[in-house]
Amino acid sequence: MTEKQTLETKWDIQIRKGTLELVILAALNGRVLYGLELLNLLHQFETLKITEGTLYPLLDRLKRDGVVSAKWQQEGEARPRKYYKLTDAGHAKLTSVSQRWQQATADINHLLSHPGPDGIKK
Amino acid sequence: MQERQEIHNYLKSLAKYLSRLDQQEADEVLREIESHIYDVIDMQEEKGQLVNVAEILRGFGPPRQLAEHYVAHIVDGTPLPPGFSAMDIVKRGASKSLYWGSAILGYSVGVSLIFLAFAKLMVPNLVGIWSSANGNSLIVGMVEHPYQYGNELAGMWLVPAALVLGFLTLRLTYGVLHVLKNSMQRK
Repeated sequence: MTEKQTLETKWDIQIRKGTLELVILAALNGRVLYGLELLNLLHQFETLKITEGTLYPLLDRLKRDGVVSAKWQQEGEARPRKYYKLTDAGHAKLTSVSQRWQQATADINHLLSHPGPDGIKK
Repeated sequence: MQERQEIHNYLKSLAKYLSRLDQQEADEVLREIESHIYDVIDMQEEKGQLVNVAEILRGFGPPRQLAEHYVAHIVDGTPLPPGFSAMDIVKRGASKSLYWGSAILGYSVGVSLIFLAFAKLMVPNLVGIWSSANGNSLIVGMVEHPYQYGNELAGMWLVPAALVLGFLTLRLTYGVLHVLKNSMQRK
């Protein structure tokens, strides 16, 4: 791995640590998904390639926190799967956390687009 | 066949480490993970890809590590509900008392034992172990008039014994304080 790739990987991990819960809530917004479906959805995004070992315990915690609900379903001859969806509390949390995310992103982008040496007047 | 055995071994190991959960919760975790594994295998077979069970299991990580994430809330304890802050303050106070009590007791015993060893070297006749009251009591330390207690029991063996015990006590105290400190920091 090149030095640039190592740095990007380390930074991706840092970002994911702070945002994973928001990512899961956002992915489940308007969707009912089982674990593998959710994982494949996230893997479409370069910075959201989490492992099964991260996803499933997190879903378990979110269920205990009451922000997602889970239900086993079997479609036809397919194997039963555990489907997840947002609860009302999950929707409320998604709304408030995503607002803070938007604000944080705007603040950081502002800083990035206004390098020194001058001060910043917002 | 070998793949099934690998999966079975993994789930069996995971089940062992999930024992802190109640049976229903643990069964549900295992069922979900097993379902995922076989779904991935089906997906790979449909795409004509080579099935790599080891790779799939690597995504979950070692069973012990995976189970730790599931039982962390039990090990660490859920936070106290609001309004119970007084209990939290008492708990923290008790933990601090235990920490400092252990430190004072452990380090003072350890240092005393080491001091005893050096004292034995300096004044061997006044330092030792005596049996008193027909064997009903034991005197360990430095005395002014040793002759009234009869023969000293340990002799110069007291020096290495006290040194070793002293250092072991100091080491044990350090270890216990380290564990207590980590426990206090996690709360």
